[in-house]
Parts: sequence; C-alpha cells; structure tokens
Amino acid sequence: MNEKNDNGIADNGNELRDKVRKQVIEELREKYGNGFKEEEVEKIASDILEGYASIKEKALLDYIKNQPAKEIAKMERAKADAASHEMLAEKEGEDFFVRFGINFRAQHMLLFSSCIILILTGMPEKFYYTGIASFLIKLVGGMGTVTFIHRIGAVGLIAMFAYHVLIYTPFTRQGRKDFLELLPGPKDILDVIQMIKYFFGYATEKPKFGRFSYIEKFDYWAVYWGCLVMIGSGFLMWVEVESINMFGKTIVDICKEAHSDEGLLCTLAILIWHFYNVHFNPKVFPMSWVWWNGKISKEDMIEEHPLEYEMIMKDKKHHGKH
Amino acid sequence: MDLKAAEKFRGFFFLASLFCAFFVIPATVHADEENSKCFVCHGKVDFANPLKTGKVISLYINFKEFSETVHGKKLCTDCHTDVKQIPHRNVIGKVNCANQCHFLGNPSGAPETMKYIEYKNSIHGKALFAGNHAAPQCQDCHGKHNIFKPSDTRSFDARENIPKTCGKCHLQEYVDFNTSIHGTQFKAGNKDVPVCTSCHGEHNIFKPDDARSTVSAEHITKTCSACHDKVQIMEKYGIPTEQVATYDESFHGIAVEFGVKKAANCSSCHGYHDIRASEDPGSSININNIPKTCGKCHPGANVNFAKGKVHINPKSKESGIVYYISKAFMVLTVSTMLVLIIHIMLDLRKRMQKRKGNRE
Repeated sequence: MNEKNDNGIADNGNELRDKVRKQVIEELREKYGNGFKEEEVEKIASDILEGYASIKEKALLDYIKNQPAKEIAKMERAKADAASHEMLAEKEGEDFFVRFGINFRAQHMLLFSSCIILILTGMPEKFYYTGIASFLIKLVGGMGTVTFIHRIGAVGLIAMFAYHVLIYTPFTRQGRKDFLELLPGPKDILDVIQMIKYFFGYATEKPKFGRFSYIEKFDYWAVYWGCLVMIGSGFLMWVEVESINMFGKTIVDICKEAHSDEGLLCTLAILIWHFYNVHFNPKVFPMSWVWWNGKISKEDMIEEHPLEYEMIMKDKKHHGKH
Repeated sequence: MDLKAAEKFRGFFFLASLFCAFFVIPATVHADEENSKCFVCHGKVDFANPLKTGKVISLYINFKEFSETVHGKKLCTDCHTDVKQIPHRNVIGKVNCANQCHFLGNPSGAPETMKYIEYKNSIHGKALFAGNHAAPQCQDCHGKHNIFKPSDTRSFDARENIPKTCGKCHLQEYVDFNTSIHGTQFKAGNKDVPVCTSCHGEHNIFKPDDARSTVSAEHITKTCSACHDKVQIMEKYGIPTEQVATYDESFHGIAVEFGVKKAANCSSCHGYHDIRASEDPGSSININNIPKTCGKCHPGANVNFAKGKVHINPKSKESGIVYYISKAFMVLTVSTMLVLIIHIMLDLRKRMQKRKGNRE
C-alpha cells in the first residue's frame, strides 16, 4: 500500500484519496443523513484531488523560480561534497571516520614502495665498505643492477611527487583543502610548547590538534624537502654529461654529496621518527592501519584530532538542516 | 713397519749417494776442464754459422762471462744433451729448460718454484703451447749463455734491463713507456718508478681483460695503489696519496669494485704505458685533453669537465663548496635526529607515567 518510489518518498495517492473520500462521506452524512450515492462521493473526491494536484504543482514551480540559482548550485555542491567527502562520518553514530581517501592512500603506497627500493639500493652504495652492503650488492648481481633498480625506484618517486604537486594539490578538492591545513602556522609553535609542558607535567592536557598535528606537518614537509633535494640532485646526476656541460663539474660533486647526505637524513627520519609514530609507539604497535583502510576510530579522532572532530560535527549539523 | 720404512730409506740414500758420486760431484769439479773442449771452437770471437738464407749465426760464447753465470759450473752437455761428438755431425737443437731441469721435483738442483707452472698458465705460455713460435720461451727473457741473477746488472731480468727485454717484442709499449713520466724517471735512474714487471707481473702475465691479470679492471687499482697510496714514496715527488682513497669512494671506484667493468679505473683516465704528469700537454689528464678523455665514456663532454678537481675529498676544506655542503648536512642531520629522538623519549616517558598512573 505504502509503496516507495525512486526518490524514497511515499506514494500515498491512494491513502490521500481514501482520506478525502472519508471526509466527504462524513460531511455529507452530517448535512443530509444517509441519502447520498456512492458515485456522487467519488465525483466530489476526484474534484478535490484534481484541485490539490494543480495547486501543488504551481506552488512547487513558484518555489523553484524564487530560489536564487547560486543558492541551488551551492546546495548541490554541498550535497556532492558530503557524499564524496570521505572525511565525514558516513552515518550518524558511525564508529569510524575516514581519515585518508583512496587517492591519498595510493600516493602514500607509491611513495613508500619507491622509498624502500631507493633506500635498499642507495644505502649499500653509500656504505659500500660494510659487509652487509657488499653482501646486498653482490646478491642482486653487482653495482650495475643496483643502479638500475635504484632508477626504477626513482621513477616511482618522481611520478608520485609530480602527481602530488602538479595534479593532486591544485586540482582536487581534498588536495587543496589538506594543503592549506598542512601549512605551518603560529598554532603549531604554541602546540609544541603545550606538548613540552605536557611532557614535563606542567600541563594536564595535550595540545588540541586540528586535522594535522605539528608532527604530521613536519613529516609532510620533510618529505617535500627530501623529494626536492633527492629528485633534483638525482636527476642532475642521471644526465651527468648535460649537467656538467651546462653548470660545470662542481654541480655533480655538490649533487653527489647532497644526495648521499640527504638520503641518510631521510632514511634516519623514516626509520626512527616516522616508524616510531606509526609502528613502534605503544599506542599503535605493531602498526597503525590508517595507511591501508584510511579509517580512524571515533575515540582516536577525538583524542588526536579534537578540533577536526568538532569541525566535522558542526558541518554535519549544518548539512542536516537542509 | 718401522724396519721396513727404514729399509726403504736406506735404499733411497744409497741411490742418492751413488747419484752424487757419479754425476753431481764430478760435474762441478771437472766443469771447467770438460767445457774447455767446447771453447776450443766456441771461444773464438768470429766462430759463426752462415745459413743458406744468408743469415750468419754467431756461435761465439764468452767463456769468462759464462763461468760467472748461474750455470757457470754446468757442463755444456748438461743442457746441450744432443751434442754427442766433436765436431758435431747432427743439427744441435734448442735447449728445453722446462723439460730438462726447470720443473718441480727436478733432480738437478734447479730452483723449486711455482714460476714454471705460472709461466705455463700465462698468456705467453698458453700462446707458445698453442703453437705460436713468436711467444717467448725461457731464453727469450732470461738469455742463453748469459743468465745472471736478477740482482746482477748484466742480467736480462735486472730492473735496469727489463723494459729493453720486454721491448724486444713489445716495441710500441716500450716507446710509450720511454716517453711516459715513469719511463723518463726510469731512464734518469729513479729506483721508485715501476718497470714492466712491477705492474704486469713476471711469469704470471695475463691479458688485461683476463680477471686474473694484475692490470685487469678488477685489479688495476690495487696495482697502482701499491705505490700511489704510499706516503713515503709519493711525498718525495709531491704527489698526493689521497687520490686512491677518493677514487675508491667515488662512484667510479664503487662501481668497479662491484663488478661494473666499464666504469673508469686509474688507467681509463691516466692512460697506462704513456702516463704523463698533468702539466704535460700530451697527458690524457692535461686540462686541454680532459674533455676528450671524459668523452670516451661520457659522449658529448665539453670544457666544463676540466673545471674543478676530480679527486674530491668532501672531508677536506680544499674541496670548497662540497666541504661546506657536507658539513651543513652533518649539522642538519645530527640536530634534526637529536630533536626527534628527544621528542620520542619524552613521549615514551609520558606514556609510561600515564600507564602507571592508570594502574594505580
């Protein structure tokens, strides 16, 4: 009886007709007793419903006409935003928030696969005189192979960095939004101070982070800087003849030194700092799964990104009104 | 058992003493007397054998010189075993040193050394046994009736004569060597510079593309650094010794160490027989020739390749900007890691405290 159409709105034409008919019968009964015919009741009800339909259509058209076009576009965008926006909890009362979308996770996967390849082939070259390095180099078949594999990793890193900087950041909504969130600001300095206070017991509460804590911002910009140095110097050494012909031999010497030193710095930062934050830290040990499924629990969200949580909840209420 | 063994040895000692009594002792005692028969003819300066081809082979042997050689106490017939009568009726063949005395376990008292086997496996020995008559045999390098100890300046194998000895066959290399810094110093009597055998070895010479060779891509660095990383040798000439270490740390050095034969080794840039000082306009590493030298492997190299030092040590201040970049990164790395590690430690400490507090 109460069928639902595609829009999820109950199609209650029959119900309405029944109601109208009941009301007509009641009123006729009050005025004329039982002296009326079934057909007459049907005709009156049909007239009423016809009038209702035409008035409803006119009213709706008027509403749409009066609604400014901009408002509608904004509403539609907000709707699309809410749907594509994986940041938002999917439904009220859901226990997980989606922290990283599939695009961002794919970038991270390409980044870390490239980095693993680059570190495993780069470090043995830097520390060629150690036993483990010479073992690894000989294992893959000598320096020629090591160099080849290193360049495969390099292509992966360059592809990821180029995509992130040239396409993802400027041309996706999430990319633009996160980039702005990642820019360091005065709040980060206050957060660091608050954190130090907290560490030493002078504050009972950790700083309240937004979408990205200063730790995450540091990681992001460290990778940014690392990619610039490593890709720049690596590329100049890859095309060594052209580099030297254009800029002089010193450029390749500088690149070699910078590539080697920055490589070590990146490796240490990843192995010690990043691995502590996402692997060895007692809270997440053995691993935080956000890189894989992108999800963060409501509890973690409230603890680690309280300001972002508040924002999302406010947004949701706002969207709920419409 | 012991008795039996003793008996065996008794037999051996008996035979050995008989051998000495009949061959060795008489040979040494009567060598001069016996050989003097030969020198009746061979002692004459103009004693020669004109061949049908018109070539004249001198058969003169300087008796005094011969008696001072390492074989001076030997009988002529010890080597020339095909001499049966005087005057000789048969053609006197070439002496085969390796078959007659110079092999491992020989009874005639020739030195017991692996050099015989080394020669057989070397490029010279291999070529000879493959039927190449131009390949050198013992006599070609050691001489015939004038074999002295290498310490004797009259020896073909004395340090002073080695380039000439090798140059008999390797003429182009001899010429190149003579004009090189090593060669000119050698002619001036310098005892530090290498001669052919210093780099190539003696009996165990292989082709440069053979991995066993001392001048192969795999071993050339070691061969050059035998002298070039010795401060006590190089300081006399003002040649820096860190070139070896800086090369080893360079991309070229690491690549060569781990099997990339085409990567540059010492000789790729500096040359080999005709190595010259960088000031020499003919040197492959002269500032004007560097683009061409680098261009062998890096096609299209231009004059910029010649600007700046090649053997760079980032730890030395002379390397200029590279030194400062290296220092800057060291400071950056140490300070960053220090801050991060302190942050980690504080975070861990706080977590422990919190956990303890929760438990109580």
